[in-house]
Amino acid sequence: MRIVVAEDLYLLRDGMVRLIEAYGHQVVATAATGPETLDALRTWRPDVSVVDVRMPPTQSDEGLRAALAARAEMPGLPVLILSQHVHQMYARELLADGSGGVGYLLKESVFEADQFIGALERVADGGTAMDPAVIAKLLSSNSPNRALKGLTEREHSVLGLMAEGLSNQAIGRRLFLSDSAVSKYTTSMFGKLGIAADDDSNRRILAVLTYLNSL
Amino acid sequence: MRQLGSWAARAGMGFVRACVVAVVGMLVPAVWAGAVALGIWWGAGNPWSWLAPVVLVTVGTPALSRPVCRTVRFLVARWTGTVVPAGYREAPPVMRMSTGHWWNGFTYESSSRDALMDQKWRVRWNDPATWRDLRFMGILPFTAGVVACLPPAGAVVAAFGLSRSDPAARLAGALGLVVAVAGAPYAWRVLDPVAVRFLRPSAAMAMADRVEELTAQRVDTTIAQAAEIRRIERDLHDGAQARMVALGLSLATAEKLMETNPEQAKALMREARVDAATSITELRGLIQGISPPVLSERGLAEAVRALALDSPLDVAVSADPRLRLDAPIESAVYFGVAELLTNALKHARASRARVSLAWDGVGIVVEIEDDGGGGAEARPGGGLAGLRRRLAVFDGTLEITSPAGGPTRVRMAVPCESL
Repeated sequence: MRIVVAEDLYLLRDGMVRLIEAYGHQVVATAATGPETLDALRTWRPDVSVVDVRMPPTQSDEGLRAALAARAEMPGLPVLILSQHVHQMYARELLADGSGGVGYLLKESVFEADQFIGALERVADGGTAMDPAVIAKLLSSNSPNRALKGLTEREHSVLGLMAEGLSNQAIGRRLFLSDSAVSKYTTSMFGKLGIAADDDSNRRILAVLTYLNSL
Repeated sequence: MRQLGSWAARAGMGFVRACVVAVVGMLVPAVWAGAVALGIWWGAGNPWSWLAPVVLVTVGTPALSRPVCRTVRFLVARWTGTVVPAGYREAPPVMRMSTGHWWNGFTYESSSRDALMDQKWRVRWNDPATWRDLRFMGILPFTAGVVACLPPAGAVVAAFGLSRSDPAARLAGALGLVVAVAGAPYAWRVLDPVAVRFLRPSAAMAMADRVEELTAQRVDTTIAQAAEIRRIERDLHDGAQARMVALGLSLATAEKLMETNPEQAKALMREARVDAATSITELRGLIQGISPPVLSERGLAEAVRALALDSPLDVAVSADPRLRLDAPIESAVYFGVAELLTNALKHARASRARVSLAWDGVGIVVEIEDDGGGGAEARPGGGLAGLRRRLAVFDGTLEITSPAGGPTRVRMAVPCESL
């Protein structure tokens, strides 16, 4: 894959490039500011990009803005946002266009290198990768959504992992369940939530996120 | 008929109030008149005849000034709701020194009674409020006093005039009745503007109060700041720093074991990675408590929105996203909203809340309302009192309306510029 890495701290940028290259992917460009990021995304149209939220010159949410601007110009351009902190608000903004190919993870998710590269590949394929912290808040027991309260504990954890962007097989591995057990849970869960069951995992995940997002 | 009744009631009440004002306002002139009468009675021939009246006036006027002014302030507050601050100086505490003598802020005295007495007179003499009260004694009789005398004087004239039979006296009596009845509802009202104009603390006195207030706030802020720094230091010391040491230790051991026992080395490195992840989580929590990242990235309105999204409560936010204020004020208001939402959840057991932020031309006004159980009040040392103090640093205010049974409404207002 051709990848753009946008991160203002040199050590982190360098480490990320090395990690990605260690997995056999190609980093075509790096950026250290918001405007540079937007330029790189426009010029290279990468298969996927890794973008930090806070970057110079304003040290506000330059990176996120650049990513959103690029996706407005090139719908579905895969972007994985990495940040020191995650907010539902930013997650909602990223998911708002409903075209998929977005990820939003905490920076320490790079510690689990296999999972991180997995998430990167998923996003490149038009899927999603949401940080468990964001999903946990969306699914919190205090959530005003009543439909969620009707779910069993198992269905709840399946929904959470699905919203993070995991496929049925991956969910099965995480929860030590067989594929058929996972699809049994998803069918009953979708029935309770009133979401049309779909075999295409990306569309399914987007449906879940749109549903959670509409609360 | 009812209108007539209510007018009569107002006139009657006004008449009573006018009489009260007349008595209070004319107390000091009565003393002066008494002094003059005494002088005349003793006769101009007596060379000492001027002494007693002079003593009476010079002692009587100051002695009466404070009680009369207190009464005027009380009446104005009672009748019109206008609060005229007194602004009298407080005496500093009298302390016993190691020598056994008493220090009252001015002099040493051998007994606490002497020290208190001495202090009382010195404080009074140096207090600008004393001289303002004395000046008011000269103003009151010729303004509110005279006007308030009209209805009772009219009533007296009417009583005398109407009991006589000659037409001139009857006419005067009728006029007196008109003055008494028509003036009664209005005459006492003059007291309010006069008191506000002449009895208010002067600019210098207000300034002295403000200095005192600011000094107290500065002490508060310094203490709060020091406590905050200590908390951050402790969190870093016991948290991230300790974990980093453990991390280094694990890595050093792993390096050593790499060749002899690769399995254990791998386990140690996994441990190190977990330590690193945990310290990052701790640091994130610490940073959120010092300066929430979303606040610096997006500003107050969006940060409050993010707060609302993260809150288990169903929170509706109305705010202009372009609203930007000075960073310290944004931070104080943000943490205020966070604390109030936590209170609504924890103490009031609310399920919904409404937050509105607006700049009203003078400052930022934040209103928070929940559907919880109410009963919130600012107790000394409590969270709301602390919030009030933190807002007071910016001259901000916190108003709480929280009847038992709810709902709770809180209004924070901080004067500031909109950037």
